[in-house]
Amino acid sequence: MKFSYYLLVLCLLGGVNSCSDLEEDPVGLLAPESFFRTPADVETATLGIYAWLASESVYGRKLTLSLQLRSDMCDIGDRNTPGRRQNVNDFEMGADNGMTSAFWPGLYRMIGSANAVIDGATQVEDSPAVQASVGEARFLRAYAYYHLVRLFGDIPYIDFFITDPVAIGSIEKTPAAEVYANIIADLEAAKASLPDSQPGGIRTRPTRGTAAAYLASVHMTLGQWQAAYDEATFVIANRDAFGYRLMDDFADLFKARIADGLAEHIFAVDFLGNESGGGGQNVDWMGPVTGIRQVSTADAPNGGWSVSVPSMLVYTTWDDRDYRKEVSFIDSAVVDGVYSGFEKFAPNHGSPRPHMAKFFEFCGNNRGDCGFSDNNYVAMRYAEILLIAAEAGAEVGAPAGEVVGYINEVRERARFGSDFPADVEPSISGSELIDLIMEERRLELAFEFKRWYDIKRRNLGDEVFKGPSSLEPHPNFDSGRDYLMPIPQDELDRNANLAPQNPGY
Amino acid sequence: MYNTYSTVRRLWATPLLTCVLLLASSLTAVAIGPAVLDVSGRVTDTGGEPLIGVTVRVKSTTAGTVTDLDGLYALSVDATDTLLFSYTGFATQEVAVSGRSSIDVVLEADAATLDEVVVVGYGTVKKSDLTGAVSSVKSEEITAYPTASAEQALQGRAAGVQITANNGAPGAGFRVRVRGGTSINASSDPIFVVDGFVGASLPPPEDIASIEVLKDASATAIYGSRGANGVIMVTTKRGQAGQTRIELNSSYTLQNEINRLELLNADQFAAYQSEINPDFEQGDSDTDWQDLIFRRGAVQNYQLGISGGSDNVRYYLSGTYFQQEGVIVNSDYERFSVTSNIDITASERLNVGLNLLAKRENTNSVATQETGSVIGVAYRFEPDVGIRDAQGRYTLARISDRFNNAVALTNEPRDQDNVDQFRGSIYGNYQLLPGLDLRSTFNASTNNGRNGFFSPRTLNPDAGINGSGRVRNSRNMSLLTETYLTYTRDFSASNLTLLAGYSYQRETSEFFVVGNRNFVTDAGYFFNLGGGSEPTIPNSGRSESDISSYIGRINYSLNDRYLFTLTGRYDGTSVFSEGNKWAIFPSGAVAWNMAREPFMEDSGLFSNFKWRVSYGLTGNRAIGPYSTLARFDDVFTVQNGTIVNAVAPTAVANNDLTWETTSQLDIGVDIGILEGRINLTADYYSMETYDLLFALPLPEYSGYSTLLSNIGRVGNKGVELSIDTRNLVGAFRWNTNLNISTNKNEILELPEGNDIFYNSGPGHIVGLGNTQVLRVGEPVGVFFGFQYDGVYQQGDDIIPGGSFDTEPGGERYADISGDGMLNSDDRIIIGNPHPDFIFGITNEFAYRNFDLNLFLQGSQGNDIYSYTLLELDLLAGLNNATTAALDRWTPSNTNTNVPAAQGGRSRRSSSRFVYDGSYVRLKNVALGYSLPAVVLDRFGLSRLRVYLSAQNLLTFTDYEGYDPEVGYRSGGGSSGNQNVGLDYASYPNVKGFTVGVNVGF
Repeated sequence: MKFSYYLLVLCLLGGVNSCSDLEEDPVGLLAPESFFRTPADVETATLGIYAWLASESVYGRKLTLSLQLRSDMCDIGDRNTPGRRQNVNDFEMGADNGMTSAFWPGLYRMIGSANAVIDGATQVEDSPAVQASVGEARFLRAYAYYHLVRLFGDIPYIDFFITDPVAIGSIEKTPAAEVYANIIADLEAAKASLPDSQPGGIRTRPTRGTAAAYLASVHMTLGQWQAAYDEATFVIANRDAFGYRLMDDFADLFKARIADGLAEHIFAVDFLGNESGGGGQNVDWMGPVTGIRQVSTADAPNGGWSVSVPSMLVYTTWDDRDYRKEVSFIDSAVVDGVYSGFEKFAPNHGSPRPHMAKFFEFCGNNRGDCGFSDNNYVAMRYAEILLIAAEAGAEVGAPAGEVVGYINEVRERARFGSDFPADVEPSISGSELIDLIMEERRLELAFEFKRWYDIKRRNLGDEVFKGPSSLEPHPNFDSGRDYLMPIPQDELDRNANLAPQNPGY
Repeated sequence: MYNTYSTVRRLWATPLLTCVLLLASSLTAVAIGPAVLDVSGRVTDTGGEPLIGVTVRVKSTTAGTVTDLDGLYALSVDATDTLLFSYTGFATQEVAVSGRSSIDVVLEADAATLDEVVVVGYGTVKKSDLTGAVSSVKSEEITAYPTASAEQALQGRAAGVQITANNGAPGAGFRVRVRGGTSINASSDPIFVVDGFVGASLPPPEDIASIEVLKDASATAIYGSRGANGVIMVTTKRGQAGQTRIELNSSYTLQNEINRLELLNADQFAAYQSEINPDFEQGDSDTDWQDLIFRRGAVQNYQLGISGGSDNVRYYLSGTYFQQEGVIVNSDYERFSVTSNIDITASERLNVGLNLLAKRENTNSVATQETGSVIGVAYRFEPDVGIRDAQGRYTLARISDRFNNAVALTNEPRDQDNVDQFRGSIYGNYQLLPGLDLRSTFNASTNNGRNGFFSPRTLNPDAGINGSGRVRNSRNMSLLTETYLTYTRDFSASNLTLLAGYSYQRETSEFFVVGNRNFVTDAGYFFNLGGGSEPTIPNSGRSESDISSYIGRINYSLNDRYLFTLTGRYDGTSVFSEGNKWAIFPSGAVAWNMAREPFMEDSGLFSNFKWRVSYGLTGNRAIGPYSTLARFDDVFTVQNGTIVNAVAPTAVANNDLTWETTSQLDIGVDIGILEGRINLTADYYSMETYDLLFALPLPEYSGYSTLLSNIGRVGNKGVELSIDTRNLVGAFRWNTNLNISTNKNEILELPEGNDIFYNSGPGHIVGLGNTQVLRVGEPVGVFFGFQYDGVYQQGDDIIPGGSFDTEPGGERYADISGDGMLNSDDRIIIGNPHPDFIFGITNEFAYRNFDLNLFLQGSQGNDIYSYTLLELDLLAGLNNATTAALDRWTPSNTNTNVPAAQGGRSRRSSSRFVYDGSYVRLKNVALGYSLPAVVLDRFGLSRLRVYLSAQNLLTFTDYEGYDPEVGYRSGGGSSGNQNVGLDYASYPNVKGFTVGVNVGF
């Protein structure tokens, strides 16, 4: 009796809150299990995938800079730049390379977010809008794996939403061929469910045409020429429905201020100037790393950093009459207040040569050196589809007139009123035609993160790095090792089943 | 005059009579009361030496005096009064005047300070009844030299407590560890309990009466899920019935940075650069950047305290002001506080009280310990350029990234914090029955902070955006209500105390941040965010956590010799998932007071000899709210030039997450010898923490980076020894306190036994790879990397490996795996940041009116990993270097371990930048002089002491960085465990010279 009296006193004095159930009510936080309720939620989660794509670790620098440096079109300018970049360029990568350790997780974050959308969509009543979002997520998942499989070969392949990450901690790598098959399946599904155009004709989200264009690219990489030809010609045949055409002026492709919704863009990665989110989201450094030290331009009064700079031979071997050369390079600018030729570029930084202009000269709103630029990076454009159609057409024996017709469409635009480059004659054929198309790709798509993949798929490494006409000689290039990058050591440390490391590392 | 004054003061203390008598006092004061008698005499110790400063008080009144240099006193009393003679370290004596006019007294040294009362959780115990491991720190130690916070004052004062500065900046925090870190990813910070308020921040040092550090499970289990890392109990000063005491403490300190790095001058720098880049053009300046950012710092510290009261109402009122001008331009800190502690005896059975603290802290900061650190930039910036270029703009670095120079970074940005704290507690203590007390407390605190940051257009990265500013506001609230019953009963041969209670605490925090760019002018700083035209995306958030607890304790003592304590706390918290919210934390202890056994009592040698053994479980729930929930977060997505709503998964759920639990065994002994002249406390402890809360690095192919999990175990074992000796007593007094502690930290288990690697370097020091590893069998936070083997000489066999040096003069690393090449397999553990032992030694000397205090503190056997020197001395031409670069390898200087200058050299985590961080430091030396009583009386003062002190005057170390007492990324929860002994561009610690005065009225 007395005891219960004390208990009562305790309870009264113990405070009004003593009956708290200790439940958490996380105001302002979103839970995956309750997030997906409407098709709009599925779309919102789909849009989240782009935050990782347009981030410093993927398109803002780490992936794109690596692809540039790995090729014969971009060399290291300033040799004081961090070793991890030089190692990519010089074929001296270690397993602890700081570039791979950034874009590997960056690409997998895209994949994880895409898997969350595909899983979450099952909680929402099915509709065309939901299917379109799922198609978009599958496209983006395929897009990320397409980079990974080309860079690393056999890789861990995850296609489900992870609720128990420990359970996948001991999985093995999936063979590259199987990864490619999954990529194709995703792109086929995307092609089936995506609309012909996105609202407002924007190019930063995929359409049926984007999926087809990437199918063409994947099949081309695999040497599945008929399929590549079919997909590329599908895009070309439906170009009006998709809204694709070449820009009249090649220069208009590389101006941040007019880059939104360009008709030639099939898929673009959009950065908004002077803004950033957490974790490197919307952070772009490609402008400064390709720009020139101690040079002032209208958009970049502080100049860039001269990190990725084409070798002199890239410039000198490119015909001066080609309008695309003028657009692709800056070879004169204001140095220390004086308008000067490239010989005066980057004093103290060892790269007095023309720099690339595509991402630096007109990088739009930025913080003064093109950092946090406003660039839209084109990942796939109509000119490339024409060249894929030409290359695949040549391989499958399409009519010669049709094949050179695709190339000449690209060349005509490149002439921009001049008479260079001339049309290709239909008489050219065989390996000569293929070589010509590869050369056309090298120039038309110069510095656009395509060249390394072309070198790899055409096995050109020994020729372009060790051959007599090498633009950027690397005598240590090892075709048994360097077509693949090493898997990040941290990942091997965490999951021993990912062994073996790629050969030679 | 004096007598009248004194009598009036006595009367003041008799409230009922005061009003009436004050009117009459000017006329008849001397005539009031029974016969007045002048009594005098001499107070000595048992050796006949006079005791100076003995308090002589008339019992039940406020009248009193102190003995002078010769131990003499004189006092006017009533013939029937009783005198109380009290003196620290001696037993108090009561002597009835009985009409005598001369009374000499011999004071005996206190048998031990045994019957001091020690504050423990939810109560107090006599020191002799203590069964747990508890260290006490006295108020005089806490205020021995001016400190912004009491954490700093605790350094070196208590065995088993390690305190290091996270950064030397004014107002910066400290890393506090009690018996090592029990965790890897959850916080290992102890919990602070201030006057019963769990989780409160520390009050100003001057307002602290004592600090008790609860270390073993017997003492800490009463705090259950928050006890695993020790409990620091702070008791603030309170009023005593009787004489009103007014105290004024003031000091002024001059400070300088403790050290500088020796860097290359302009010519040396140019010579070094030219070896890498033959086209290097030397600038026309020779700038010592350190000289430009450092200045003389100063600290002013004031406290005014008034305390006193009657038998019914007692009060302590205090105001403090602390102001520090940092040793780097534009950095400062100030603190104002007001404290009011009131105790009211409302009735015979009811006591109530109120504690209030209001505090304001203002901090202006410069960037340190990060990429834009003014210190780091002062080190690495080119010395051959001046502050401004020909156009009058601040210069930028030329040779690597174009960062601002150190003067620009110091002068231009504004980074200001204002924090307001208000804390209030009320308590009521009601005696239900004789021996049965009910105590209820209600405590609330709010902590509101504002950080404003502005980076003007004069700084380069913002040149394009015309300034950027932001304001971040945060509000934190803590509510705590506790009610408990205490039952005490004395039996003939035993004592029993029972405690049972309930506690509920809620903590909420909120924040918002807004910002803008492209300002009309830099003049408004962040105070006019509307003056910009490119707002950044605002953000806000809120979190809340609850903890609900039942507590119980039984203390039983038998024959004053055998002591038993059983403690338990049943805690529930909202931060874990359903089914894992509640857990019980029990402990038990026995102690045997051997000195009171007849066989020991007879010997007379030991005044105290107590064995203690305790075992118990305590917890750590130090994870943030909502950590068990899977989450989608807003992400930044742009489509067609427009920001769109987008979310992405950022965390996975973990419903199995539960408490970290620490089991702890403690065996201790307290020994007092020679009537307490020597007091020794020794403890051995062994702790094991299991179910570690750990951010497990996930495979990156999962798309997540980490998952909070209960994995693994960590152990801490150690020995603590604390010795207090009164080496000399009498006119010349010499006391020594030595505390020394060892702690061996070891990871006992990790998931699947896998190593966990991580890198804590600043963001711009790229390409390093991992610099630390968590490995079973090793302590937390050991350094990891290549073993540096000096430089390659001409003709040496080069060990090949991707991007390793291959030229003579290049860095040479050991091929540990022996496979003939250098790669990541060749990385090993290259250093251990944990000390073999830490210690503090205080020596106090007093002779007549002089006192001298020497405080040495140190750490032995710990390694330091210097990212600072790694950056400077890479010698790849990226920045300036230390003068070690003068000894770099060249074809004509081959007998060296410093590599040649070589562009493009990759950064490596290696033993080259790991150093022995042992040190011994003369932390404080203080010389004081107290004015004699005769002089004091003339001014109506009870105490006037002036002192000079010097802090960090001498340091003995082999460390090559600027200071071995380093902390980098060591603040906060997980990083404080994993980042130990790292050094990067910290705000320097300081040397200080203080002049101060303590006045009592």
